[in-house]
Parts: sequence; structure tokens; C-alpha cells
Amino acid sequence: MTRLTEPSEAVIVGAEIAAGHDGEAELVVRVRHENGVIATLTLDRDTGLRLMAGSGGGGLEALVGQSWRRILAETVFGGS
Amino acid sequence: MFDILIKNGLVVDGSGTPGYLADVALKDGQIVGIGPGLAGDAHHVVEARGRVVAPGFIDPHTHFDVQLLWDGAAKPALEHGITSIVPGNCSLSLAPLRAGDRASVVGMFQQIEEMPPEAFTQAFDWTWEDFAGYRAALEKNLAINVAPLVGHSVIRLWVMGAEAARRAATPDEIAAMGDLLGECLDAGAVGLSTSFVDVDENGRPVPSRFAAFEELDGLCAVLGEFGRMLQIVPEFYDVDLTIARIDQLAELSVKHGIPTTLSPVFDSLATPDNAPRALARIAEQFARGARVWPQMQTRPIDISFSLLRPSLFFARLPRWVRILRLPLAERLAVLTDPETLEKMVADAGPDGGLRYMGDLIVRGGDRAPEAMVGRTLGEIAVERGETPARALISLSLEHDLDIAFLAANRGHDATDRIGPMLANPLVHIGASDGGAHLASFATYGDTGYLFSEYVRKSGSMSLEAAVKKITADTAEIWGLKDRGRLREGWAGDVVVFDAETIARGEERPVFDMPGDGMRYVRDAIGIDTVVVNGQVAWTAGAYTDVAAGAICALN
Repeated sequence: MTRLTEPSEAVIVGAEIAAGHDGEAELVVRVRHENGVIATLTLDRDTGLRLMAGSGGGGLEALVGQSWRRILAETVFGGS
Repeated sequence: MFDILIKNGLVVDGSGTPGYLADVALKDGQIVGIGPGLAGDAHHVVEARGRVVAPGFIDPHTHFDVQLLWDGAAKPALEHGITSIVPGNCSLSLAPLRAGDRASVVGMFQQIEEMPPEAFTQAFDWTWEDFAGYRAALEKNLAINVAPLVGHSVIRLWVMGAEAARRAATPDEIAAMGDLLGECLDAGAVGLSTSFVDVDENGRPVPSRFAAFEELDGLCAVLGEFGRMLQIVPEFYDVDLTIARIDQLAELSVKHGIPTTLSPVFDSLATPDNAPRALARIAEQFARGARVWPQMQTRPIDISFSLLRPSLFFARLPRWVRILRLPLAERLAVLTDPETLEKMVADAGPDGGLRYMGDLIVRGGDRAPEAMVGRTLGEIAVERGETPARALISLSLEHDLDIAFLAANRGHDATDRIGPMLANPLVHIGASDGGAHLASFATYGDTGYLFSEYVRKSGSMSLEAAVKKITADTAEIWGLKDRGRLREGWAGDVVVFDAETIARGEERPVFDMPGDGMRYVRDAIGIDTVVVNGQVAWTAGAYTDVAAGAICALN
């Protein structure tokens, strides 16, 4: 998996497991956007699993540096 | 002659003022006297020396809509001291609903509440379509008081049919929804619930999520005519979206003069700024005159899983995630491969997964042997002479993967952070989800946990402040008439409890749902007696056969 880290692109800068409201483990992703703002987003089980699979099947550390929008397009909205 | 005389208790009346020793007398469903040494006989005397006598607790976020039709006490909510509940949250209610639309709503209930299908086919006669009919069906056997919300999704279904889950409404359809909402409010609905998050059993957004703002605005105009509540489920996975919803609720609140509430709002150390940011915006909006009540639960959030489905609990172990995502037959084959097993165990760390998995708890309610239920994986692994990681896999394989494990207190569990939030006058204690998530976790006992964790253990709140939070404050926020305080002439809803021991019991599985369906419950600890509308509904560890509950009158 190629890591895209151009500063003009939103990239994942961190990820960790959190407890979801419904008792499922969820994935909290920190994304640094093009304007420098870092935002957190909590992904539910299915979305989080697709995100991890789409990032090469590595662990949480493998998500760091990945292009946020590409992963979204290919795995979450693309439904892989 | 009083009906009930509760003697010598510490009266904590819901006002927040210091408790005082007094008797409480009840007659004809109401409180008729409060004071020391009340004179007069009573049919039933409750000795409350050394106990707290408080207004019955009120739970503002439940999903007991279906259960109430065969269990008018909403067990085990009532035995935890709860005398009034608000069902119909999250856009979902059982009325108004045409017979032809029942199947789709049953699917939503199964998805959102995990209600077994037998509940809808075996447990009650579905005789109504309109809200008044549902109210009448409820009133036949209520032991607890109910202030039902009407769900936005079912209102859409009634007016738009299948189009409700496909598109925004036309102006004529919005007008028809407004008329229908008005009928429901006339029939006793406490407000409207909607959701921006929930999905049906097929993973599709529930109908309320197809509404444009104009529709919500139109419905809030109707709520404004009655002064009733709008409840929403915001996009709680993204704090910026949640804050945007707070702003939207504030606009609707100010424009239409209505109270609004959003649930859930919870704290997480993974996103430590989220809850404080949301509460800061709430404070800003209250300061400009809006009423936007964030509901925060007291109980911590646990993670549960089995190897029947992949879980992000294993997100730090990519090999585990890859294997658990395989189709079941393939997954079983891979898990039984010795070489793969060795690699998985090695992935769990040099301690064999002790740190990562050792404190997992075997939950029960599935194929787990009874002797293992409630024990930690670490203990069981030692007994078996295995590492925790190996024990997790081998135990699961021995029981067709149908063993659930619980990672306790993995979210909303930092007492020192949450205590001050719960004590915040702008925070509404709620979001219990009572009666939902049946097979996932117990949604009962949050009130006991409030006292054990935030009054006794951390001291975040005084006894009186905690009682006020879940009685008078709740009744005032929701406009429940003459409830939430111990006051002469007010409803005789009373709980007698031991302030030194009140708590929630351990979570345990029971098979008491229709069709022998399983759910997790928690028993009450420290509750002596619960009185609903002047009659004893629960005492000495048992329910009475009294059904004195009612649909709550509203201010």
C-alpha cells in the first residue's frame, strides 16, 4: 500500500479503539485536514473494519499516514 | 385513615434542599402529608428508619414501548426505584402505525432494541393503529407511569407509506404529518422523537433521516402549540456534527418555544475534547434562551464480542481481524489450524495476551458453561493451563464460537471527569436506553450506579443533588405534572432506599423475553420499597400484583 503524505491531502494521523454506545468496539480516527486542522471521527464496527481492510490489512499503526479521502472512497463509500 | 404511612425516614424531597427526618402519608394516589410524627392510622405502614424517602426516579430515555404491553412494570426498571419512564425515543414508537406498515417497524425494533420477533406475535394483541389506541392498550395493565413520545419515523410512514424511507416530504405531506402529530399530542404524547443516526434491520436509514429541515421545523411548530419536547439522536460519532445539531435544536427551541433534548452525549478518553466541547456549546445556547438538554448516562460503557463476528476489539492484532472477517466455515477451519493458532497466540504478546485479554469476562446467556459465567478469562486460562489468548480461541471453538466476552468499563468510565459533567445543572441525566440492546448489555440500574459511584465513591454530588437530578429536574424538563417531588397534593410516587448500599447488581443473563428470548439485566441493590401512585408496587425484593401506573399528565 502506497502511503500518500502530501501536505495538500487529508491524512490519518492516529487511530485507536474506543467503546461504542451500543457495546461494540469502534475505531476513533484522527485526521489532519488540508488546512492543518486535526479532527476526530468515530467509525462503527463495519466501517472501521472496512477501513482497516482497505488500508492493507495492517493494525492501527498501518492507518497512520494513509490518505483519508482515498480510503473513504475506496473502502467506506465503495463498500469493499 | 391513610393508605400508606412511611415513617421515620430521611425525606429527600427532590428540591435539592437538605434531607430531614419526617413521615410521608399517602392516600388516594397522592401525597397527603409530610412531617414529623404524622398522626393517623394507615392500611400499610412502611418503617423507613435509617432509609431515604425520595420521589420515584424518572427515566427519560427508554425503549419499553413493546415490553409494556405484557409487562406493565417494565421490569426490572421499577425495582431500581423508577416510577416513570419515557418510551418512544429515537424516532420509533408503536403508534400511529397502520397494520400494513407493522412489518417494517418490527424490523426497526428488532434492529434498534434487539427485541425478539416473538414479542410481536405472541405477547400481545395488536389492536390499534392510532396513538389513542396504543395508549388504551398500555393503560390496561400499567404498574409504572409512562410519558410516551411519538416517533417521527412512524409518523412519516403513516403519511408517506414506503416513500417515507426514500425522500423528503412535500409541503402537503408535512402539513399532514403536523395534523397527525397534533392528534398524538392530544392523545397524551409527551413529544416527538427523531433520529439522524439509526438504521433498520437492512442497514438502511430509518424514515426520519430522510426529512428535510422544513419538515422538522413544521413538526416543531406543532410541538410549540403544546409546549412539548423534541428528542433527537444526533450524529454522536462526530462532535462537530453534534454541535451543529445542538445549534439546530437551539434555533427550533427559541423559534417554537419548545424544550429539546439530545441523547446520547458521553465521554471517552479516546476523544477527550468531545463531551466538553458539546457541553460548552450547550451552555452558550442556554445563555441565549434556548432549551437544549444533553442526556448523559451514568453507567460506563463496556465492549462485548464473540468470535462469531469480527470485532474492532482486536484492531491492534491485524491477523486476528483478518481471520475473524472470514466466512464462518473458513474462519473455523483457520482457527483450528495449529500453525495459525500459534501465530495468533504469539501476536497477542509475550505474556500470552494476559494484559490485552486477561480481564475479559465470560458473560453467559449463550453456550458458555455456567461455571465460567462472570469469571475472567485470565482465571479460566490459569485453570486450563493455557495463555489467555489461547484460552479465548479454544473456549470459543469448544462452543461453536458462541461465547461472549466482556471488556468492562472501556468508555465513559473516568469518574473524575464525568462526575462534574453529571452535576452540571445543564446536563440531563438519562440515556439509559432501558428496554433496548437486550442481548448486548443491561440497560438497568443506572440510578443505583449514580448513587454508588457519584455520591458515595467520588462525592461528585450530594445525595440531595443526585435525587433532584433524576426526579424534580427530569419532571420539570419534560413537563410531567405533579411528579418528581414529595409535596402534598402531588402524585404518590415514592422510593425508599438505603443511601449506604444503593447500587446496581452484576449483569446477568435471563431468558424471560417472549419466545424464551435472552436479555441481560441487573438486579437492584439497596431499594426497600417502590410506591407508584400511592400503591406499593415493589417491596422486600418482590413485585406486588398492583397495577397503579398511568399515562403521565402533562403541564
